[in-house]
Amino acid sequence: MKKATSLSELGFDADGAASGFFRPVAESSSTPTSHRRRLTKISVIGAGNVGMAIAQTILTRDLADEIALVDALPDKLRGEMLDLQHAAAFLPRVRLVSDTDMGVTAGSDLVIVTAGARQIPGETRLNLLQRNVALFRKIVPAVAEASPEALLLIVSNPVDVLTYVAWKLSGFPASRVIGSGTNLDSSRFRFLLAEHLQVNAQDVQAYMVGEHGDSSVAIWSSMSVAGMPVLKSLRESHQSFDEEALEGIRRAVVDSAYEVISLKGYTSWAIGYSVAGLAASLLRDQHRIHPVSVLASGFHGIPDEHQVFLSLPARLGCAGVVGVAEMELTEEEARRLRRSAKTLWENCQLLDL
Amino acid sequence: MKKASSLSELGFDADGPSTFFRQLTLSECDERPPRRRLIKISVIGAGNVGMAIAQTILTQDLADEIVLVDAVADKVRGEMLDLQHAAAFLPRVNIVSGTDIASLTRSSDLVIVTAGARQIPGETRLNLLQRNVSLFRRIVPAAAEASPESLLLIVSNPVDVLTYVAWKLSGFPASRVIGSGTNLDSSRFRFLLAEHLEVSAQDVQAYMVGEHGDSSVALWSSISVAGMPVLAHLQRNHRSSAAAAKAFDAAALEGIRRAVVGSAYEVIKLKGYTSWAIGYSVASIAWSLLRDQRRIHPVSVLAKGLVRGVPADRELFLSLPARLGRAGVIGVAAELELTEEEEKRLRVSADTLWGYCHALGL
Repeated sequence: MKKATSLSELGFDADGAASGFFRPVAESSSTPTSHRRRLTKISVIGAGNVGMAIAQTILTRDLADEIALVDALPDKLRGEMLDLQHAAAFLPRVRLVSDTDMGVTAGSDLVIVTAGARQIPGETRLNLLQRNVALFRKIVPAVAEASPEALLLIVSNPVDVLTYVAWKLSGFPASRVIGSGTNLDSSRFRFLLAEHLQVNAQDVQAYMVGEHGDSSVAIWSSMSVAGMPVLKSLRESHQSFDEEALEGIRRAVVDSAYEVISLKGYTSWAIGYSVAGLAASLLRDQHRIHPVSVLASGFHGIPDEHQVFLSLPARLGCAGVVGVAEMELTEEEARRLRRSAKTLWENCQLLDL
Repeated sequence: MKKASSLSELGFDADGPSTFFRQLTLSECDERPPRRRLIKISVIGAGNVGMAIAQTILTQDLADEIVLVDAVADKVRGEMLDLQHAAAFLPRVNIVSGTDIASLTRSSDLVIVTAGARQIPGETRLNLLQRNVSLFRRIVPAAAEASPESLLLIVSNPVDVLTYVAWKLSGFPASRVIGSGTNLDSSRFRFLLAEHLEVSAQDVQAYMVGEHGDSSVALWSSISVAGMPVLAHLQRNHRSSAAAAKAFDAAALEGIRRAVVGSAYEVIKLKGYTSWAIGYSVASIAWSLLRDQRRIHPVSVLAKGLVRGVPADRELFLSLPARLGRAGVIGVAAELELTEEEEKRLRVSADTLWGYCHALGL
């Protein structure tokens, strides 16, 4: 039974309220459509651990004027919305709405899709695929119709294939469809290096690209701190440095997600910060570089007709993907990337989109 | 099996950094670098509430070091890693975790206790009591010994009684032992009023005091927006069966209060627990304390001699508007002008809580 959550439901006249207590000046106390358009609205599809960590971080960081939450479970969804609303005294005023119907997302500037099955410990990201494609057929066309000019940010795994799926199902230009990709992998990568070098992770430039998953590619030559390449120093600090030593670091990054899942059951906080950071770069037109999943055909020898999404360092702004970096990769790195692309493309082709 | 989570474990020499960066010459460095004022916050209990608090504190950039403690080693390690992995998106914070309070929480500036059994839907907060008192016997003395000068902030329910318990078990002065109390209830109260008046909740001054729970007291006469008292306005606007200005009664106000008390239970029923709101609430208190803000929060404080009609020697904790700063509770609102009804209710709240505190024999 729904409890009373507003004074109106408790018998207090809402029409009397504002107009009696305050003398009106603007034509109406509700925001006119023309002005509402200039307010930032973010919708989060999927109110699970990932979706809520994203929504809450966006709220704490004061990125949006309106946040819409959508989930298939109405009780859970309503509970999460109330739990955020109850913090009203501690936050700037943000309009929070929720519904199981996609219509609540209408007029969004950014729609973040986290809906999907959770990765089970041991399950590779690619195994989740079929379950999530069917779900996206129910979500993406409705979202695109409700917000035809929105930016679409996909988080659900396997993120690269699902970003491709979202692009196909939405009909949006690829510049407006982005996957969270290796943004978080790169953070984990930078964290490991930062701890080792005892510097702030924000001063470690290092990119992981390609698939967000087991075949991600660490661009060793991109590691740079204080303007100095890091690879040489790593080589000198290792007793028996070889390719395996570097591969050990890359695997530690890939495994760290699985480790968190095996310890606490899921990941939430890190992906929350990662996606909130992407939201800030996009909506505030920051032109920051993030390794995110973008349409990669034509890069690094990937055939033009392979319309595959994978992570490359991309410049993000209010138009979406403003540009993609043309990195100088070693032969091996480019080869790995092309192999990653080939596997992803094979998966995309199985989907009949 | 613990996976490699550092380059040292992968065979890279940790002394490497000294060649990557050249230190200044020895004569230009302190032999023993002075320990600067880094803020250390420990959170005991890495469940939904503890983690929402820790993560909000991290996002708001309040601490230099955050310690997570829980009885379940894997869970707390996973939570720590999940926060550490966001390193590229946050200022550098030292995050550590484990199961041992004595070694990990040493020299904390603030210790936040969230450990305790979760409130089951339908269970009143007071029913949780016995389960949590024995838990506090294992937690509080150890935390107090490890950080004899820290502030102690209790969140576990029933918070008023457990703050009393923490005060007794820690041996700290009451100024340094605070319960999250009705800080969140007041936020929910202000949210309802703010939505109704279509103003920002931050401009609604309204306090709920007394017990954080069923017998909380809404201070109607103190609600104020834009310097105007709200109560009279609410009375004029209530739709009642009789003519417009008539028949407004206490039942209508009680409906609002019950809606606030009920909203916690509602969230628990819908999503299984509450987390986000209490996270923001406690982070807000933490900020006021550690940044010496002198802000007023309705939090659970030693109410000895502060409740009219309650014997002045009774030691109990309940929420009153309190001025918070680096020393803890700097002052408690002393000139609340309560109506007779509000005074009566506060007395009832105090008597109820006193009954529980007294029965514990601490």
